[in-house]
Amino acid sequence: MSAIKPTSAPAFSDSVAAPFSDVSRLSARTLGFYLALGVTLAFFALPIVWMAGIAFTPSGEYVSDNLSLLPAHPTLAHFEVLWRDGFPGRLGNTLIVAVGATLLALSLGFLASYALVRFRFPRRLDHAFLLLVLVIKMMPPIVVAIPLFQLLKGLGLLDSKLGLILVYQVYTLPFCIWMLLSFVRDVPLSLEEAASLEGAGLLRRLWHIVLPLCGPGLAATFIFTLIMAWNEFLFALLYLSTPSHFTLPLYVSNFITENETFWGQLMGIGLLSSLPMLLMAGYVQRYLLRGFAMQMK
Amino acid sequence: MLFRSRLQLLLLMSPATLLLAMLTLYPISQILINAFSYVDYVGAERQFVGMDNFVELSEDWFFAGAIKNSLSFSVLASLLQVGLGLALAVLFDRQFAGRRFALPVIIYPMMLSTLVCSAIWRAWYHYDFGFLNNALLSLGLEPVQWLFDPDMALFSVMLVDIWQWTPMAFLIILAGLQSIPADIKDAALTDGARGWRRFRHITLPLIMPQVLLALLLRSIDTFKLFDKVYALTGGGPGNSTETLSLFIYKQGFKFFNLGLASAAALLMLAIACALSAVYAWRYVGAKS
Repeated sequence: MSAIKPTSAPAFSDSVAAPFSDVSRLSARTLGFYLALGVTLAFFALPIVWMAGIAFTPSGEYVSDNLSLLPAHPTLAHFEVLWRDGFPGRLGNTLIVAVGATLLALSLGFLASYALVRFRFPRRLDHAFLLLVLVIKMMPPIVVAIPLFQLLKGLGLLDSKLGLILVYQVYTLPFCIWMLLSFVRDVPLSLEEAASLEGAGLLRRLWHIVLPLCGPGLAATFIFTLIMAWNEFLFALLYLSTPSHFTLPLYVSNFITENETFWGQLMGIGLLSSLPMLLMAGYVQRYLLRGFAMQMK
Repeated sequence: MLFRSRLQLLLLMSPATLLLAMLTLYPISQILINAFSYVDYVGAERQFVGMDNFVELSEDWFFAGAIKNSLSFSVLASLLQVGLGLALAVLFDRQFAGRRFALPVIIYPMMLSTLVCSAIWRAWYHYDFGFLNNALLSLGLEPVQWLFDPDMALFSVMLVDIWQWTPMAFLIILAGLQSIPADIKDAALTDGARGWRRFRHITLPLIMPQVLLALLLRSIDTFKLFDKVYALTGGGPGNSTETLSLFIYKQGFKFFNLGLASAAALLMLAIACALSAVYAWRYVGAKS
């Protein structure tokens, strides 16, 4: 499954494709390839490099007409400000909300997708359910934002982490169900049938057979869902009002004021808040492509 | 063999079903009622007014602009993202030195929160000291009012979306490319097909499902556009970047015009449903 690993699958490069063509044409193509690659990488990487640079640049230094990406006098001042300003608290909020929403969606989604794959539904209700999930997945969140505001208000969950965890299920639960379906499908039914004949009940089969075999799928789904919840903005904006309850995407707005924009702190948040996601995504890189391949099944 | 116990089925399905029903069926029913009502936000009173909200919307110049902006943004941005993603995927469907490190670089933008993306690009778009205008000046070109020129602003927002989400189209299409069996590639080679012909007649037809999927997913996502306009332009200048999501947000949460906001939300839901119907027909219908 490690499609990205350089060792898997024989290379299908143009140098293999045209072993007998003349050398100058070959090197022109190779040059063209690296040129295209370079331009692409620059387009995607430059803003990130700039972000990292500004996070370490003293305020004021970058307000000049040069194109330098890296600071002349690197400083940690912005991170110190963030640390004192309450960044850790906002990071904690984000962590609780994002992990909470992900775990809830993952566990409910896992049960539902298992049922959808393994059980006979009366009157093709499984298709109806899947269609409903699909529609929800496609639905613009702003459409339900006002009634959900009133729902949270009624439940006394406005401005709370639990409330956000709950409303994030609009995004995360359909996504989890849809993505886990194909991973559950890959679990051999024969294993479960054998266990069933030996008297293993539903819970034992789920816990000892299906769950371990779905491990990689669950991990990939976890990452995708976590990124989604980690960066969510609209619901956080609408349902949180106390600054100390803010999640990181909302916290960003603290540093854009009427009079001044604190670019250094802003980019510091960007760097700090995206690094955990990036590290995790790097760790499960080999599942990333598979995850996307799964989404369409 | 499928398991048959109704009780177990109920146990497995009910948590997700109940939660989704509460979070979507209830809100949608509220929108259906509110769209045909005048809602007094303070008194929480509701009065049936028939089609009044829709009549008001049809006369609202901002709403017409919002529909136009949302649709044109969605169509253009998704086409560009899928086109670029396809080119990128072809570029990456081979082995080269440093591929393992190039891939994370390309998908990093996806990991950033949209607000951070918007902050980076706000700085880059700054008229006086932004990176882009500095680059233009150093090339001897005129600086551009990226976010404050009404003809330019929507495209500037689009560029940010392209930067952030082309990687997603890229990953979907790359997954498709890498699932093409090696023997098909070999067969094409022994037939002498290479370069553009090989791509046009062999590769492209094989990855068409993934290309269409990327196009659908991106068009649905771009149609919802909210965070970026909220953070970059607030809908301005004028109403040149006002989208449906922003329109509903303003009506509902700034002017507390719940009836009008619900009517707009209902129309937006209808458009989104039409989009996902295409998706459902293509991907669910085909399997059942």
